[in-house]
Amino acid sequence: MAMGEPHMKSEDETEVYKPSMASRVYVVWRELKKNKLAIAGFSIVLFMVLIALLSPIIAPYHPRWQGTSGIPPSLEHPFGTDGQGRDMLSLVMHGARLSLYVGLVAVLIEICIGVTTGMIAGYFGGKIDEIFMRFTDLIMTLPTFMLLIVAVSMFEVRNINVIILIMGVFGWPFMARVVRSEFLSLRETTFVEAAVSMGASSWRIIVHHILPNTLSSVIVLATMDIPWYIFYEATLTFLGFGDPSSPSWGVLLQIGYYYLRSYWWIITFPGLALFFTSLGFNLFGDGLRDALDVRARGR
Amino acid sequence: MSESSLLSINDLKTYFFTAEGVVKAVDRVHLEINKEEVLGLVGESGCGKSTLALSIMRLIRVPGKIVGGEIWFEGEDLLRKSEGKMRAIRGGKISMVFQNPTSSMNPVYTVGSQIAEAIKLHQDVQKRQIKEKVVEILHKVGIPDPSKRMKDYPHEYSGGMCQRAMTAMALSCNPKLLIADEPTTNLDVTIQAQILDLMRALRKDFGASILLIGHNLGVINELCDKVAVMYAGKVIEYCDITTIFKEPKHPYTQALLESIPRLDVAKERLRIIPGTVPRLINPPTGCRFHPRCEYAMAVCSEQEPTPVKIGRGHTVACFLYTSKG
Repeated sequence: MAMGEPHMKSEDETEVYKPSMASRVYVVWRELKKNKLAIAGFSIVLFMVLIALLSPIIAPYHPRWQGTSGIPPSLEHPFGTDGQGRDMLSLVMHGARLSLYVGLVAVLIEICIGVTTGMIAGYFGGKIDEIFMRFTDLIMTLPTFMLLIVAVSMFEVRNINVIILIMGVFGWPFMARVVRSEFLSLRETTFVEAAVSMGASSWRIIVHHILPNTLSSVIVLATMDIPWYIFYEATLTFLGFGDPSSPSWGVLLQIGYYYLRSYWWIITFPGLALFFTSLGFNLFGDGLRDALDVRARGR
Repeated sequence: MSESSLLSINDLKTYFFTAEGVVKAVDRVHLEINKEEVLGLVGESGCGKSTLALSIMRLIRVPGKIVGGEIWFEGEDLLRKSEGKMRAIRGGKISMVFQNPTSSMNPVYTVGSQIAEAIKLHQDVQKRQIKEKVVEILHKVGIPDPSKRMKDYPHEYSGGMCQRAMTAMALSCNPKLLIADEPTTNLDVTIQAQILDLMRALRKDFGASILLIGHNLGVINELCDKVAVMYAGKVIEYCDITTIFKEPKHPYTQALLESIPRLDVAKERLRIIPGTVPRLINPPTGCRFHPRCEYAMAVCSEQEPTPVKIGRGHTVACFLYTSKG
């Protein structure tokens, strides 16, 4: 500590006197910082999110802009141009916007359905649990991908939001299982019993007392599921079941596939973007799980 | 039921229906607590003390069930109340302090907000007043610097402070009856003394009745007016606190008292009660204590003793005191 700053608190002191909620976030962050891979993942995710948010401003060209087709990566077009002469860098940037949107919204739908189902099944148990979980098993046994293709084909309009909705509606069973198991163990705890003994209603206990305690699992699972949805959407689109009007990474991959023999860069850069995004979310999710797990701490 | 009676339990039966059979955890229990009275409930582990407490709150969960009996509280049978009305009583008129203070609090909320929640649930108080009330009650239970410490999370409290905070929560709505389930078990002796002082003060200040559950007769002696001794799901002796130490009647109570280490009596070894509490799936016939009882007679294994009055407010369920007549 510098001599001229007698009033500055040492690091230990500031830690002790930190306001509590902030200190929880701080503790998680401190744990996360120890894990280099998690920080790498977090950086990738942050980078992709920034690109996605800022793509209309920072992308060098408008996605509909057309120049000379088939220019290989160069200074003017770092990622080259595609068969129609569009700038690939700008397309990948706009694709990030769309792909992250797909992942986030699908995960939100998953959380809504999965958490609701899981918490009701886990808290009430018995017959309710039986009914809800058998329904969850039913959804789980459905061959999701086939179902997605059929469902998407049924809609005449290939809208990206429809695809997201369908993915979310079939993607929640695992979330429901995780939340249910958390509720099953948490409802037996003394603090829940104490809350009941203070006259709290079932709903209050579910939403105010147990749900906040399951948040870390939900966050970790959601983080890991985002790239999964991005992948699913890309695969669907790649196979021709997507929304061709929205230039997500899947659409770019599909275009690249047609030009694979002549223009290698068209499929390469969206593919790399997809790869790194998925890697980033998974590393971050993994690190987050370790950081949030109090039991694993201090090892 | 007399005027001064607050809670009166009649013939209560709480059974657990397990795969192995029916566990009669509380079997035909009679008990009475008067206003502003502290009743101690003692017995070995697994004798049904906590089940009895949870039955009063109607917090028995599957596979347990209250099979029969009545619990009269302020002139109403709690067992006939709807779940909604019961919720208003829990935490409002009857509240409970659990054995394990540190795990009785939700780890994700501050202590203050949890106490505030209890107040909000049961009382019509304005927002600003709630905060004042929380500070006031935390101060009352001896939490230092309450306006600051109320913003702490449970893990930032020590075990004793958690127990105080839980007690504060239980008392926040001025209950008529406080059920304390081994409130001092997990605390060290100095904190135990503080909690006992606290309870004594609360009884004076709030005029509440207390049902104190414990297996530590020293603690019971400190605080209680009357004692009920439970064995294998039954209340076997019920009398006031001085009587039980002076002239315990039931062989089990006598044995229990002789197994306490004492400083004033020179003794080589402490008395040990042979055997263990019977499994309640298949309790012994007749008196449930007879296999361990040194005075066991033929009748003990054949018939169940009924509680008899042998003195002022002193009942015993033992054939030593009935078969003479």
